[in-house]
Amino acid sequence: MTSPLLAIRGLRAAYGKIEALKGVDLEINAGEIVALIGANGAGKSTLMMTIFGKPRARAGAIEFDGDDITGVPTHEIARLRIAQSPEGRRIFPRMSVAENLQMGADVTECSDAERAAVLERVFTLFPRLRERINQRGGTLSGGEQQMLAIGRALMSRPRLLMLDEPSLGLAPLIARQIFDAIRTLNRQDGLTVLIVEQNANHALKLAHRGYVMVNGLITLAGTGSELLQRPEIRAAYLEGGRRG
Amino acid sequence: MTASTLEKKPAPRASSAAFILKKATISALVALVLFSLMIGVRTEAGPQGGLIYWTRFGDLAAIVAAVFGGSIVIELLRQWWGPADKVRVVPPAVQHALSFTGRLIAPTLLIFTFLVPVIFYDQRYILDLAILVLTYVMLGWGLNVVVGLAGLLDLGYVAFYAVGAYSYALLATNFGLSFWVCLPLAGILAAFWGVLLGFPVLRLRGDYLAIVTLAFGEIIRLVIINWQSLTGGPNGVSGIPRPTLFGIPLSPGEDGLAARLGIEFSPTHRIVFLFYLILAMALLTNWVTIRLRRLPIGRAWEALREDEVACRALGINTTTTKLTAFATGAMFGGFAGAFFATRQGFISPESFTFQESALVLAIVVLGGMGSQLGVALAALAMIGGFELFRGLDQYRMLVFGMAMVLLMIWRPRGLIGHRSPTVYLERNQAISSDLVKEGHG
Repeated sequence: MTSPLLAIRGLRAAYGKIEALKGVDLEINAGEIVALIGANGAGKSTLMMTIFGKPRARAGAIEFDGDDITGVPTHEIARLRIAQSPEGRRIFPRMSVAENLQMGADVTECSDAERAAVLERVFTLFPRLRERINQRGGTLSGGEQQMLAIGRALMSRPRLLMLDEPSLGLAPLIARQIFDAIRTLNRQDGLTVLIVEQNANHALKLAHRGYVMVNGLITLAGTGSELLQRPEIRAAYLEGGRRG
Repeated sequence: MTASTLEKKPAPRASSAAFILKKATISALVALVLFSLMIGVRTEAGPQGGLIYWTRFGDLAAIVAAVFGGSIVIELLRQWWGPADKVRVVPPAVQHALSFTGRLIAPTLLIFTFLVPVIFYDQRYILDLAILVLTYVMLGWGLNVVVGLAGLLDLGYVAFYAVGAYSYALLATNFGLSFWVCLPLAGILAAFWGVLLGFPVLRLRGDYLAIVTLAFGEIIRLVIINWQSLTGGPNGVSGIPRPTLFGIPLSPGEDGLAARLGIEFSPTHRIVFLFYLILAMALLTNWVTIRLRRLPIGRAWEALREDEVACRALGINTTTTKLTAFATGAMFGGFAGAFFATRQGFISPESFTFQESALVLAIVVLGGMGSQLGVALAALAMIGGFELFRGLDQYRMLVFGMAMVLLMIWRPRGLIGHRSPTVYLERNQAISSDLVKEGHG
């Protein structure tokens, strides 16, 4: 097997004295969808942020495509074409949809043709964005904002797309549309995706492999369907928890 | 607006005459309490130093009556207008006409500005006022980069104005450098101080940033006051050379511009020259800002104003983005400062108080953060309007405060609160964002 696209080994990170990651190991192979699930405060978002260099890793290593990127500043990580759709969407509300998308494209240098192509791809995935191209971001509905956040991340033509809770606060039908789009991106474009979710059922069905995080540690790993069958997962995240 | 409209449209609650009267009475009572001491009784130190007073109940009654009447009028207007959240559909014809005039405002204003020295050639007062207005337009546009685009609340903008003014004043008086050499130097020095201010406040936002920038403005002023050997302290710097037309002085002498052109010398020449100088500088500021807004750095400024976390996720270097915003804004402040020094011929720390920062910030906020035209209109209204009400002497501030309050009620986002996008990926879609209410879904 070839070396993974992203490899995390023994990663530790902390906010002040509170240790949020206590030695995390995780691998993502090119072309995979990997789901990271866990309860509130397990450290899922922190892991994503730490890959982006904020907070800084206290120990351990993050390797992207064979290069160590542990100490690389946040703004340069995006230039390696690791894109992120942060938790809570965080689109730019007063800027138009077109400007929001352009912000994503500003990171990496690309020709006009490449930009037009990726824009066309985003519009094919999310036709709603094309309809609302000159509307202000803040006037979009929650689902449209999530589409915009993903579209914006895609504009940098990422090699690895990291999504933090894409279904947060969305109606089940809209959430399904978002997940379908992610699946399409993976199957047709071969995009590698790391998806952080509380919606374990959806995420694990979508993902090739999954990791379960508890209190800053990976406690379980396996393929999506394997994890879905595990009784402890069902008890902790599916039956009692939110369903999509 | 009369009471007859009221009878035509009886609304369930608020429209009753009793309600309006009650509201007006309450307003009148509040006015009575407020103004009974402010207006009703006038006190003054008598000839023997004792306090003498006299009553002005007539004035008081007039004001209370005005409040009473005004309250009724406002309430009637409000009912005629309907609930504030009602969706109003403006007829397309009116909309079209409005957008047409809207597009014409800027060019008309610009042409008029160019013609001001021609029209008002004999009226020195108006020319001086126009120069002052343009100075503030330029300051407003400079601060607009920091506050309006990058969203960094800067209460110490006057510091850069001062740095620019003192740079030119000291370089010119000590080393005899000409205005045209000093102008870029003043801009560079101001930009340098902008970066210097930028570093410690990189992690601050909002209120905290405002306090630090406020302090920075005061520090610069206090340093100028106390560094007597360099800046002359409170006495200021005098004898600052007047600007020359690229080396040709605008003076009555043999080598002056008038003599060379063979026309009769007039002191107005210099005023007109200063007018076009500041106009050119202001337009340069505007042009640079508009250009920058269309570049990635300008977009990054605006994105930074919207959401810093998202900016980082998109790979924007927030450090350099903030520092360039501070530096760019400060540079324009420095240019304006150099102009101020050469125009006045004398500068002292008194010209660079917090009052100035507040005034420029008010111009930016009133104009609509980020809107170039709005800032220009606000500067015109603030500086020109302030002069317009000079006849009202001490009530000038009152009128002015009232106008600002009203403006903020009717246009909370400033005169021109609408922000036009800089990126159009496809032009075929024309859903105006104005017609869509902002949602938080």
